[in-house]
Amino acid sequence: MKPVVSILSLTCCEGCQVSIFDLGERFLEFLTKVDIGDFRLIEDIPDVDKYDIAIVEGTAITKEQVKRLKTVRKKSKILIAIGSCACIGGVQEIKNYRNKKDLIRYVYSNIRGIDNPNIKSIKEMVKVDLEIPGCPINKEEFFRIINEFLDGKKPVIEQKPVCEECVRKNNKCLLLLGKPCLGSITLAGCNAPCPASDFPCDGCRGPLKNINLNAIKKALKIKARLSDSDIELLLERFGKRNEL
Amino acid sequence: MKIRIDHIAKIEGHASFTADIVKGDVKSAKLKIEEGARLFEGIMRGRKDIEIPELGSRICGVCPVVHNFAGFKAIESAYSVNVQSKDLRKLMMMGQLINSHALHLFFFSLSDFFGFKNDLQLINEYPEKTHDAMKIRDIGNKLVEVIGGRTIHPLTPCIGGIRKAPDIEKLKLLLEDCKRVLPIAIQLGELFSNLKYPHFIRKTSYVSLTHDSEYAIYEGDIKVGDKILEPKEFLSLVEEFQSYDKVAKRTHFAEKTYMVGSLARLNNNQDKLNPKAKDLLYSCNLQFPLYNPYYNILAQAIELVHCFEESIKILERLIISDIKVGEINVENKTGEGIGVIEAPRGILFYIVKIKDGVVKHVNIITPTAQNIANLEADLEEFENLDGFNKLSGKEREDKIKMLIRAYDPCVTCAVH
Repeated sequence: MKPVVSILSLTCCEGCQVSIFDLGERFLEFLTKVDIGDFRLIEDIPDVDKYDIAIVEGTAITKEQVKRLKTVRKKSKILIAIGSCACIGGVQEIKNYRNKKDLIRYVYSNIRGIDNPNIKSIKEMVKVDLEIPGCPINKEEFFRIINEFLDGKKPVIEQKPVCEECVRKNNKCLLLLGKPCLGSITLAGCNAPCPASDFPCDGCRGPLKNINLNAIKKALKIKARLSDSDIELLLERFGKRNEL
Repeated sequence: MKIRIDHIAKIEGHASFTADIVKGDVKSAKLKIEEGARLFEGIMRGRKDIEIPELGSRICGVCPVVHNFAGFKAIESAYSVNVQSKDLRKLMMMGQLINSHALHLFFFSLSDFFGFKNDLQLINEYPEKTHDAMKIRDIGNKLVEVIGGRTIHPLTPCIGGIRKAPDIEKLKLLLEDCKRVLPIAIQLGELFSNLKYPHFIRKTSYVSLTHDSEYAIYEGDIKVGDKILEPKEFLSLVEEFQSYDKVAKRTHFAEKTYMVGSLARLNNNQDKLNPKAKDLLYSCNLQFPLYNPYYNILAQAIELVHCFEESIKILERLIISDIKVGEINVENKTGEGIGVIEAPRGILFYIVKIKDGVVKHVNIITPTAQNIANLEADLEEFENLDGFNKLSGKEREDKIKMLIRAYDPCVTCAVH
């Protein structure tokens, strides 16, 4: 019996699903190893009763999505949350730090019937077995983890900062160059693509455990000349602020 | 008789469809969007200018490059900044169209022509073609990655161009790759030119960018029928409307629906296609203007070939040119601007107001938001589909799904 795998997409850009697709030939090979339960991006067939593994991207914003997420949890042995949205809230969580009623009125002239809850990560709604964060996910890391699951292993993401992967790529330290880089407090596993493109880490993978928040704030003020409010804006960017 | 299609598969995002058929006449055809509102325009306000493109790319993981560029173009228009080494961005756009079109053509659309409900069936029956489609997508991804730093949510774009120069050796390899895969793209194009498209005609206006010297994707003025307008003029005639319960806005131009996307571009700019794409187009013996929306699929296949040829041209230029990179320093960060670009699914607008580098106002009008009203208008007249009366309920449903997919709707973009 092949394991039944489902990929559920809640509200998001769907870039994590596309990343899985971007595995190309490896994605095709993956499809031969599993039975697809529900994966609307590639099929239009009736759903099945049980999943061995459910992969969830996005955040549940509409009432239907909340219901669907809970149903999927009940049907699944293992539930993996992928991407910044599912793991820490994603960019849409910025509204939690504003007046969300003002925001919805700014965007829509008729707000009746439009759900506007506070954004929550998946783990705040249902039990999550593993989180693979990132905006988007690192498809290589995803591939490793999903294969470990299929082999019956218990995959883990090691607690280490992005800096560790960044240094190994011989990148220049952007924080020392005065750029607002969050690499030192952000969970590695992405293989540091951003600093390699001279783009400071903006923390899309969420924080490491047990970080010294005051130290990084001080560094951002001194090195990158950020004000307190600049720092808050930066930490809000992917919904990291409430995780710290 | 009621038609109800829940959660349409093989589109980006979530939508359902409902309509009534009264005495063979389709009534109240509505696309129901089932995506949460992320309030992008709202969350961008009060943040720094460059967060418009950086957050904007998160609207869509299928076409992040176009959202990113439309955002930067809006800022650059607000600040009156000229972009250097524009070819770098143009090449990324080709990559974006290639990977998006390849996904839609092969994995979303093709099964409809064979009656497969599941792509695994398609993959098993056409393994060679599947590998070809993956090869084509891989090139699209590489074009974006080599310049943009990664395939989804690009990193190197900045005000004034691109932040970091691509590795010339990688560009040379890409040129070889593009030349090697061009014949495969042509074969895929031929596969689509030989398919039988449902016959459904409804006259509408086609809106796209247009340019004197190239098939307009990255820049140009706006063409609507015979008229050519500047973005500001065009937008002054566009009405965005939204009724209660609807998370996706719809648009009218001069009080009428219009279509954007590959078919619009092909209708408006076919004379600017590259030679092999033109050969493919001519081999199809089509009459223009082409008012059958199902042909949006074939138009994408023709554009796929065009994009490979264009990538080869741009790469040949880039390899021998003096590439200029780096952010342009702007003194006065106050202004209003419009960024316009051709996304894979059609023309995309970012309209912004910025004061002292802080975002004051943003409005984003996505291709799918513009297409929904036109799609619903098509579906309202769906009884005009050739042979409609002879189709069973199930067959009608399949043809409706096929039409919706032919538009290549991106629901995540439509709501944003």
